[in-house]
Amino acid sequence: MNLNQLNRILLQTMLLPVVFLLLVAGLLVWQVRNAEQTVDRIQVANQNIATANLINALMVDEETGVRGYQNTSNEIFLQPYEFAVNPLQDAFASLRAGINAEHGDTRPIDELVAAHQRWVTTVAEPMIETVRIGGNTRDPGINLRGKAELDNLRALIGGIIDTEKQQNALAVQRWQTQVTDTLYGVVVASLVSGILIGAFARNRLHAVTDAFQSTLVALRVETQSTYESEQRLLATLTSIGDGVVVCNSEGCVELLNAVAEQLTGWSQKDALNLAVQQVFILADEDSREPLENPFEQVKRTNHLTGTLHALLIQREGAALQIDCSGAPIHDRFGTLLGVIIVFRDVTEQRRTQAALMASEKLAVAGRLAATIAHEIHNPLDAVVNLIYLMKTGSTPEETQEFLQMASSELDRVTQISRAMLGMYRESRTPVALELKPIIESVLVLLERQLAHAQITVTSSLPDNAIITGYPAELRQVFTNLISNAAEASTPGSSIEILARIISASRGLSHPRPGVAVIINDHGAGITTADLDRIFQPFFTTKGEHGTGLGLWVSQGIIQKHGGSITVESRTSPTDKGTTITVFLPRGEAELPT
Amino acid sequence: MSQSGHLVLCVDDETVGLQVRRMILERSGYKVITALDGKSGLSLFESHPVEAVVLDYAMPGMHGGEVAALMRERKPNVPILLLSAYLGLPPDITKLVNVYMTKGEGAPALLEKLGSLFEN
Repeated sequence: MNLNQLNRILLQTMLLPVVFLLLVAGLLVWQVRNAEQTVDRIQVANQNIATANLINALMVDEETGVRGYQNTSNEIFLQPYEFAVNPLQDAFASLRAGINAEHGDTRPIDELVAAHQRWVTTVAEPMIETVRIGGNTRDPGINLRGKAELDNLRALIGGIIDTEKQQNALAVQRWQTQVTDTLYGVVVASLVSGILIGAFARNRLHAVTDAFQSTLVALRVETQSTYESEQRLLATLTSIGDGVVVCNSEGCVELLNAVAEQLTGWSQKDALNLAVQQVFILADEDSREPLENPFEQVKRTNHLTGTLHALLIQREGAALQIDCSGAPIHDRFGTLLGVIIVFRDVTEQRRTQAALMASEKLAVAGRLAATIAHEIHNPLDAVVNLIYLMKTGSTPEETQEFLQMASSELDRVTQISRAMLGMYRESRTPVALELKPIIESVLVLLERQLAHAQITVTSSLPDNAIITGYPAELRQVFTNLISNAAEASTPGSSIEILARIISASRGLSHPRPGVAVIINDHGAGITTADLDRIFQPFFTTKGEHGTGLGLWVSQGIIQKHGGSITVESRTSPTDKGTTITVFLPRGEAELPT
Repeated sequence: MSQSGHLVLCVDDETVGLQVRRMILERSGYKVITALDGKSGLSLFESHPVEAVVLDYAMPGMHGGEVAALMRERKPNVPILLLSAYLGLPPDITKLVNVYMTKGEGAPALLEKLGSLFEN
């Protein structure tokens, strides 16, 4: 049940009694109106009775006046008759109107008026005339007629009075009935409406109670499921393998899971409500300078951070290598409620990576070892043999020649051992270096392998192709890329190595100055499916002969130099081969003077 | 221990090494013909009455093992001495030849092993 429904029910419950009260009131008004009409009738009947009595009295006056005048012949005695004539006419009219208003049957009054008129014209006026002229008033004829007429009149008026009294009694009885009816009506209507209102209100209230009850149940269920899901999330957070720190929008720590406790060295109890910057301290991996806390970054950008590589400074001051990221928690209106920081210890992972890179370096050396042994053994064999020739006797000219030959053979050995050492002797900081000698020294080491595979290398390496970097690592990269190209090439084909100096103003594709080295072979090419994977560790197309780490390590080294490595490959029957482009930025290092 | 005029074919892609080896063998009395790769070595092997072969293993194109196999097909009785800068060549190659030795063992060892090929 929603609020609208509840309001409707409340309105219904309130309106229904009002409607019933209005109905009862209407009934009452109707009854009162009826009663009023009945009272009017009673009054009219009473009035008519009074008028009839007046008529009776006036007629008695007239008769008394005529009889007095008859007996005395004195006009004074006729006065009552004369005084009654006009009021009697008014009374007749009044009674007719009253009866007319009452029931409309005016025949009795008309008969009375006619009888009276007859008495006046046949009895009263002839008698008065007789008295005036002094005639005989004792005539039994006229007196008997007078008596008969008067009796008739008395009977008529008595009848009218009786009728009116009857009407009056009827009206009174009716009024009493109406009063009783009204009383009963009001009682019954009140009872009925009371019961109806009660039943209706009860029914509506039941609906409200039911709705309230079900809301209560739903609420309880919802509370329970919210609690359960909260518990589930909490269990997930605490048991997850990554460290999780949750803080509110002010940056106060709300939760550290078990891993976070272990990695930061802070317990949940100690860290609670502390500033997250105090608990979760990050520093740069190389410089150890403090880094911006992910919380601040999220608060500033209101967005997920990417994965950050950093050192986590533990409570006791030790440092761990971690990967971490921060994510905002929003409410449904997008307001920041808090920030979640997730992080993991990558010290072991980095160690493994370093071990893999070292093993790849060794693998490169291993692959070169056979070549190098050959390159060193051959000149040494020649030198040993020359010494033998000189020992077993030779002319001074021959000795001179042999020494010359031995010396140039030893130069070869030195050159190779230098190139080999260059693969391992590493400077700690990046230095400015020319790419030409680096690539050439790699070619010296690979010369035998290339000659073996009958592959010719044409290189176009300009002087002053200077970049900033680590020479040994770059030697490793180029050894890798050129020997890959050689292994992919068919005997008799060629590999082109080209370096191009790129100045800063050369368009947007290379906004920075540097050197692009392009290595192009005419081997089988790389399939599109393989192209996506060649930079993944342990991916190899060489079976047991490859570690699958060469390109992965090379890419890592190039990225460390701030450069890029891209591969394009052609596999159509007419045009096959692979082109690898390495860009290395010029960087900041100064050339030694 | 002068070897009276045995004809030895030396095959090696190392010019200086080959030249020096030739001088050592000639001083010991051998007649020496040389080739800088397997292919020309094989044609000399066929066209000359070669009595022994001193063969380098690592050469561009055809390596010493392949050359030795072809020589065995043509003249199975000519002894072959395989020289290599590598240690541990696969046995299916070393068993093809009469003697296998690594470079750098020195001229006396070479002369001794070559000489032993003619004693049988």
